[in-house]
Amino acid sequence: MAKLPLEGVRVADFTWVWAGPYCTLQLAHLGADVIRIETRTRPCVTRLLPPWPDAKPGINRSGYFNQYNQGKRSLTLNYAKPGALEIAKRLVAASDIVTNNFAAGVMDKLGLGYEELRKIKPDIIMISLSGYGDTGPYHKYVAYGPAQVPLSGLSSLTGYKGWPPMQAGFSYADPNAGVHGAFALLVALYHRRRTGEGQYIDMSQWECAMGLLPEAIMDYTMNGHQPPRDGNRDALIAPHGVFPSKDRFENSGTMIDMWVSIVAADDDDFERLARAMGNPDLAREPRFATAAARKQNEDELETIISAWTSERSAAEAERILQAAGVAAAVCAPNKVVAEDDHLKERNYWVYLEHPEVGVQQHCGMPWRMSRTGGGVRAPAPLIGQHTDEVLTKVLGYGADEVARLREAGALE
Amino acid sequence: MAGALAGLKVVELGGMVSAPYAAKLLADVGAEVIKIERPGAGDPARRRGPFPGNAPHPEKSGLYLYLNANKLGTTLDVSRPEGFALLERLVSDADVLLHNLTPPEMDRIGLSFERLSRVNPRLVMTSITPWGTTGPKRNWRAADLTLWSASGICYVNGAGAQYPEMPPLKAFGQQSGFQGGAHGALATMGAVLAQARDGEGQHVDVSIYESLTSQMELFFEFWPYMKMVASRLGQRPIQPLEVMECADGYIYVCCVEEHQWRNFVELMGNPEWAGEEIFSDRLKRAANWDALKVFLEDWIKQQTVLDLYKKAQARRVPFAPVSTMGDLLNSEHLKHRGFFVEIAHPVAGTYKYPGAPLKYGRTPWEIRRPAPTLGQHNHEVFGARLGLGANRIDELHRAGVI
Repeated sequence: MAKLPLEGVRVADFTWVWAGPYCTLQLAHLGADVIRIETRTRPCVTRLLPPWPDAKPGINRSGYFNQYNQGKRSLTLNYAKPGALEIAKRLVAASDIVTNNFAAGVMDKLGLGYEELRKIKPDIIMISLSGYGDTGPYHKYVAYGPAQVPLSGLSSLTGYKGWPPMQAGFSYADPNAGVHGAFALLVALYHRRRTGEGQYIDMSQWECAMGLLPEAIMDYTMNGHQPPRDGNRDALIAPHGVFPSKDRFENSGTMIDMWVSIVAADDDDFERLARAMGNPDLAREPRFATAAARKQNEDELETIISAWTSERSAAEAERILQAAGVAAAVCAPNKVVAEDDHLKERNYWVYLEHPEVGVQQHCGMPWRMSRTGGGVRAPAPLIGQHTDEVLTKVLGYGADEVARLREAGALE
Repeated sequence: MAGALAGLKVVELGGMVSAPYAAKLLADVGAEVIKIERPGAGDPARRRGPFPGNAPHPEKSGLYLYLNANKLGTTLDVSRPEGFALLERLVSDADVLLHNLTPPEMDRIGLSFERLSRVNPRLVMTSITPWGTTGPKRNWRAADLTLWSASGICYVNGAGAQYPEMPPLKAFGQQSGFQGGAHGALATMGAVLAQARDGEGQHVDVSIYESLTSQMELFFEFWPYMKMVASRLGQRPIQPLEVMECADGYIYVCCVEEHQWRNFVELMGNPEWAGEEIFSDRLKRAANWDALKVFLEDWIKQQTVLDLYKKAQARRVPFAPVSTMGDLLNSEHLKHRGFFVEIAHPVAGTYKYPGAPLKYGRTPWEIRRPAPTLGQHNHEVFGARLGLGANRIDELHRAGVI
């Protein structure tokens, strides 16, 4: 196999929570040496949240952290102690990319702002993934993942007809910022390889999410109109919905109800759907014969489809409809995704031995590269697992210096 | 100054959102993108709208116009041998081919990396497909809704435990396509960097399903780690994290850290109920949400959105308005940052569009030209670049190949 696309690229990763770690996870997939700078004085919140095996909390035991930090190294520093900031700066000098998602101004206050870092490493590429961006009247506002979805406008468009606005994903703007940020870093790397120039990238998660809403934003700029919330329906296509099935099971005190999503995009699709439901005449009835008629009589149509789906399991409905060439999919809870043979056959899953949680099932790289390969090469790091290794092998500190810094509390 | 990707040659064989969005991300930072559409009908996004005055017109669809600015537009029927031969000539000189034909469509017209890499061994070919080009579901049909649904994201959204009859809920729009496109652009850039280093191309197989499954936040790992199913009907781990109604609109009430809740209580004037033991930490507030909700609703419905937002933020409490499209277009913050960009199109007219997803400090993000009209650049691309004479182009046009 050829070298990985980002082999030899080092990332000083000051990010935490979700947007930033999702960004640097992609860089690790592509072969970058991503070194997360953490601190035991304020560990990443994802280390403190469930899920934990056996419901037993532990700073290295969270599935949340362990998912989004696969393949990275961890270095712990306490900036309040002498020597720690110097280590951070030496790491930047040995890196190609610096990432952070602190609120505006935090890196500057630490002495790790872009202007400062440029003096250390003139061609450094730096990105800040903040909620509001570095400029503008609200740039100091605090942002949390789940609040970015309503702020972006996506919530006002998402929800059942006549109901209040709703969440999409949970912190959907976070991974969205992460993937766009990773893309931008590769663009900047491409520019640097051609010209030798680094640069600073200012990302507002709010803006990044608005680029996903052109149909609504342009309805407003063209017509002064906002599309109303309409559940799972589409403005032009019917049927386009999530339908109930007969199967359900209990898990942890909650009834897990199973649903199946079905879309028939045109007349041919609808004819196949009608036949698969054992009711081929449906496609010839005037009320359902054309896209416009189906859209107009969507309530009736949904009632008929619901009656059919309610008599079988979601998986059975999916199988029958896909065999007939209709777009249908089980509305999958995590368990169903985890057990999907398709993902298994594509080697999507990662099973690596982790010192504290053993072998767990984790999501891998969502694409394949035929020549360079790539993907998860190591489990998520324990907190501070690579502190000594990075200090001695990457930054050239002697063992006695490391001991002195540890004594002084700088490596906490 | 030229964009970071100036000189990078991309051919896009895409429709609707995923591949066109990936190509847009590349085009907006300087890549040259030649877009190929089906003769006659063109990209289905041309029929999606929104349209000015709600009057459908293939050159006036907002979705198409947004996704395809900065591209050169051609028409070519690649399912015909003459059409495929022209595609091969286009990619022989390109760095990247980005497409979102499904695997059955690829099989039907004979599109494969093996075939195109014989024409151009440096070629990066990125396939953005619903399920990926391998595996038992490779030929499965899909739509935005069914992918969102299969990935597991849908299942955690919707109404809560009080409304089990309400179905899992998708997000507005074409989010599966956008995520497939963003991950596709990222993976493509990885391959482009390797191409520049090694002088060799490769096939990049992007699965939209996997791109979405990768985004389940902490919800996915609840199954492997604890054998727990995360559901829209389950209890939130902490509260308040809810959309709530003000006098003039909706606000997102968000207290993650304990100090944020304390500051919010102070902002409400320290009401007596807030001192109750059952609301004393974020876990208890989640367990007793039904009670807490009543008190909060009562107070919040008397507030106005912008006022409460600013007062909360002044106390470092991360509330946010539930923005409408009008709020976004009128936002003083977004105006100051110059987010929206105006694009003049010869047929559709001049409108504001969403602008740069992020700001590069040195290299430009810019709109250099509006989206092409159908086949606008056929002569430029097939004539000036591939050297076909005007007569031959007319002939192919009459035959329905271009």
